[in-house]
Amino acid sequence: MLRHTIFLAFLISNVFCIAQNNGFVVDSKNNPIENVDVFLVDQNIILKTDSDGKFYTDNNLPNNTYINFFKNGYNSKLVKYKNQENFVVVLNELHVALDEVGVVESYSELGNSRLTSIEKKSLDQVFTLENSMVESITQISGVDIISSGLGIQKVVVRGLSGMRVVTFLNGMQINNQQWANDHGIGFTDLGLGEVELIKGSSALKYGSEAIGGLLYFKDAPFISSKKVKGYFATKFNSSSYLSSNQFGLKWNKQNFYFNLYGQYTLSSDYRLPDNTYLFNSRFNQRAIKFSIAHRYKKFQNIFRYQYHYENPGIPGHAHVINPAEIDILDITSSSVDLSDDYKSSVPYQLVNNNLFTFQSNYLANNLKLSLHAGYFINNLKEHEKWTRPDFDISIKHAQFTPNIRFNIDKFTFNIGSQISSLDNVNNQTDRLVPDASSFNVGPYFIVDFDNDNFGFNYGLRFDYKSLKSNDETFNINYDNQFYNTSFSAGLFYKHLDNLVRLTYSGAYRAPHFSELFSDGVHHGTNRYEIGNINLDIEQANQIDLKYQWADEHFGIVINPFFQDISNFISITPSDSFQNNYRVYNYIQYESVNMRGVEFNLHYHPHQLHNLHLEQSYSFLQTNNKDDDFGLALVPANSIKTKILYDFSEYEKISKYKLSYFSLYHTYKFKQENFAQYEELTNSYNVVNLSLGFQFNQKLKCRLGINNILNEKYSPHTSRIRGVAGGVPNPGRFFSLDLKYEF
Amino acid sequence: MKNLTLLSILLVGIFGFMTSCSSSDACHECHIAYMLADNTEIEVPITNSEGGDEFCGTELEDVETEGYTHTIDQTIIDNDTIPAGDYPVHCEDHGDHDH
Repeated sequence: MLRHTIFLAFLISNVFCIAQNNGFVVDSKNNPIENVDVFLVDQNIILKTDSDGKFYTDNNLPNNTYINFFKNGYNSKLVKYKNQENFVVVLNELHVALDEVGVVESYSELGNSRLTSIEKKSLDQVFTLENSMVESITQISGVDIISSGLGIQKVVVRGLSGMRVVTFLNGMQINNQQWANDHGIGFTDLGLGEVELIKGSSALKYGSEAIGGLLYFKDAPFISSKKVKGYFATKFNSSSYLSSNQFGLKWNKQNFYFNLYGQYTLSSDYRLPDNTYLFNSRFNQRAIKFSIAHRYKKFQNIFRYQYHYENPGIPGHAHVINPAEIDILDITSSSVDLSDDYKSSVPYQLVNNNLFTFQSNYLANNLKLSLHAGYFINNLKEHEKWTRPDFDISIKHAQFTPNIRFNIDKFTFNIGSQISSLDNVNNQTDRLVPDASSFNVGPYFIVDFDNDNFGFNYGLRFDYKSLKSNDETFNINYDNQFYNTSFSAGLFYKHLDNLVRLTYSGAYRAPHFSELFSDGVHHGTNRYEIGNINLDIEQANQIDLKYQWADEHFGIVINPFFQDISNFISITPSDSFQNNYRVYNYIQYESVNMRGVEFNLHYHPHQLHNLHLEQSYSFLQTNNKDDDFGLALVPANSIKTKILYDFSEYEKISKYKLSYFSLYHTYKFKQENFAQYEELTNSYNVVNLSLGFQFNQKLKCRLGINNILNEKYSPHTSRIRGVAGGVPNPGRFFSLDLKYEF
Repeated sequence: MKNLTLLSILLVGIFGFMTSCSSSDACHECHIAYMLADNTEIEVPITNSEGGDEFCGTELEDVETEGYTHTIDQTIIDNDTIPAGDYPVHCEDHGDHDH
């Protein structure tokens, strides 16, 4: 019987060997490395190496498939797979085990990161490490936030926001009435693995309209494991008595891969530094998402669905003509009543987002054919009254993106097109923007040449956009077409530890229907907004230079840039009033330019390898040639510092389960360059502190003290900076996050 | 089997989660927002048809109808005089400092 069993095991193992290929991950001394993350990029699947440093891939993995190898304490590596008997990857041990200083090799969805300046931020653990996803993204230099508490938050990139910062989620462009500052990002960090960011107008493949930048959010990869893996996580903060809970499950059976996530968040009004509460800064969110992937030979199909509901209150609301003159006592409460103050109160928004995406890939040795199809339905209701919304709009957005990627020697070519159709439909007579539809076709061609020390890329995109509006309520019959060509050219050169990258790009943005046709009260902004049917295309050109140098302990990045935008669309206040609200008109400035420089320092002292110091400086200057005033919502210059000390190597400390200590400091300079309806914003300091605990391999905890100095500040880009002289951000508060992984 | 059980529990949970509704009270206090010359707002409370503080159901719908105005006599609140007249009505809450 035993002999039969051994024979059977031998037979099975041989069959297994025939069906699968092995790869090995070793260190520089040829010792196998266990538990390395082996990320099959094109398949979006993550594997682990076993105790022999071995990982298994099937025979259908084509040559030149990108594989990203990652393990803490080793340098990351991005390699092209070769179907051979001994596929061995060597990871070198880092001198500083805590993290990599300098350029980290990894795959980017937005293009070759050596040729294009792409910033990345892991979102895998963001739920338990940060207060919110958007706040964590603002740790990247040049990135800021427009917000009113945690309920409504959106990203600002190098002083630009709204329609100029395009957001993609798993390949689908998110169109959720993002023209207004009170309309948030539209999803949470649930199930996300990473965000990639291109600053400025170089994001050719994903649309010419990303003049300010492009954010590309990606789901966490599938796993190759028959055992169900997952997590439960919960967080609480003492500022708004926020309670947020998430779960995630990952599963794989044969060729099927399955991810499922859910989230529920409830928050009351947040506490100001003077211990009063900003009335109606409350919100609640619910989200559910799942993804199913199937691999068969060289084909792979991924279907994803996600539902997101949110109900944020709109704080700082009053009926006065000039919100700056509101007495802050009129919009705050001295205490919260938890039986009442989690409930929504007018004015509020109701947002329902449904996102369906389907991606089909065919992979051959030097070729990847992909088709991405997405359908996004956004419904936004804004209530100032209990019994009916003031507006109720739905966006239905369909998008198709076929793409061919092929390699010839050191050249990579991408040819494709982005085809999208968008319908904006009002569900009632009261409206701020009219019914409108647009159709966009954008064929593109991108070539990358990447040698070891030198590379260049060039991309060209032609866009056709048709915009129609036939709305009897607004008495509009508009039909217009916009054409333009966008381009991006970049080169890099690497010499020893020095890397220089230069990008020159040009992009355009057709006016949005909100800018053309708005006519009504926008309660979220306390304005009566009037569009301008004569608006024309906005054009931008940007030069971006990035220099990087790093050794084992110290890394530096210097990134100056210059962007010129002609026909810049803006909204400005007028002297007239309608319905008791000041009228704001959309206008177009002939020329606006933005220049700045971003520095990043990364340091690990040789005597204290467990100490991580990171500092970024963002300096931005805007110049509006047509106006004595500056542009609106331009963030103040800033210095952001992060200090992290890892205790995992100290037995005396780690026996108390303490795993790290981190301190995050933001210094914002005074903002003296502001728009006509804004005012000067003073400088301020904010310090946040975190203590991380690891109770065992499965249970982690973070205790945070935020705004430890209880600083009273209202950022220049705060949505409620112009209300009551500037409503402050939250005062000092505690947060507690727990995550259990299995 | 274990996976199936786990999945079933989750699906039931998800169904409950998706169908759970957020409760909002059906009755609300309403007021007239009177603007003083110095651009400050005075809240003038109004009463429903039965003299109560809260407006419910169709009565709430009526006062929130576009163009609806409520008639009041001259009213004195603290040191401010609100002249008699027809005024639009608001039923939203504001941050009452003494909650």
